[in-house]
Amino acid sequence: MNHSEDLLKRLPNDIGGLSTDRVQQTDHVLLPWEKRCHALADVLDFHKIINTEEKRRGVEALGAEMMNSLTYYERWIAAFSVILFQKQILVPDELARKMAEVEARYAREPAL
Amino acid sequence: METHDHDHPMASDEPMPSYYEIMEIAVRELLIEKKLIGPGEIRRQIEVLDSRTPALGAKVVARAWVDPEFRTRLLANGRTACEEFGISIYDDTRLIVLENTDKVHNLIVCTLCSCYPRPVLGLPPDWYKAKPYRARAVKEPRAVLEEFGTHIPEDVEIRVSDSTAMVRYLVLPQRPAGTEDLSEEQLAALVTRDAMIGVVQVKL
Repeated sequence: MNHSEDLLKRLPNDIGGLSTDRVQQTDHVLLPWEKRCHALADVLDFHKIINTEEKRRGVEALGAEMMNSLTYYERWIAAFSVILFQKQILVPDELARKMAEVEARYAREPAL
Repeated sequence: METHDHDHPMASDEPMPSYYEIMEIAVRELLIEKKLIGPGEIRRQIEVLDSRTPALGAKVVARAWVDPEFRTRLLANGRTACEEFGISIYDDTRLIVLENTDKVHNLIVCTLCSCYPRPVLGLPPDWYKAKPYRARAVKEPRAVLEEFGTHIPEDVEIRVSDSTAMVRYLVLPQRPAGTEDLSEEQLAALVTRDAMIGVVQVKL
């Protein structure tokens, strides 16, 4: 099987059965924004805006390179944004403007 | 988190939020402005998430050990048995409880992502979400178990159950020998998160 066939048959999330490194028993306490991101996922699911499988596929659709570069919840919020664009719930420009507004709000209130 | 215009979940002595945190704040505020989600919903769901820890699953396991009728109901339908126990399954998922015996040892994984019985165990540890566990648990479970210090004899079958968005699993570990005199509460204290994932056994 050549490389492109291999890529087609194994999408980025489909890693069951691959040979990899030993399991490192890692864990961390979620950052406040990570926990909010998790709660957002649940709330989006409750409202039938984005369900769990749509979220998983949205993460996968980021592609292997981005998936490997982002942390777990970074992938989630990136996927939510893209899915919300696709569903025409948000438009990219609107999110960009809101992000600039949020950033400016924090910049106005520098660390004490 | 109740108002969208001055939402500062991080105190102002915190450093500038990261790009992705800014994205999270912005997405949330936009969804609230559009009235697609309620202003207090995220905070309320965080409270739900914080209320879910492996201690809940441990209580279910201990009850199943001391109450054979509950055990039967739990194995027949994990969701309704947990709800009967006062644990709401807040998402739209099925819960299948897998019983370890002298002949079968169960292990749960989510090869595609990180599906996990969150209502009864809380959020999964990072290793459960990371590539090595997801990739290898289905191929060489005995080797993975050895990495957790768990030796399962060759004559015991290992069954690996792969979770999905709609179907979640919980392992009902074996009650250790020598615990006949322990109370239900003392039994629950022995049951760890990792035992309910199936990577370790419950030890006295």
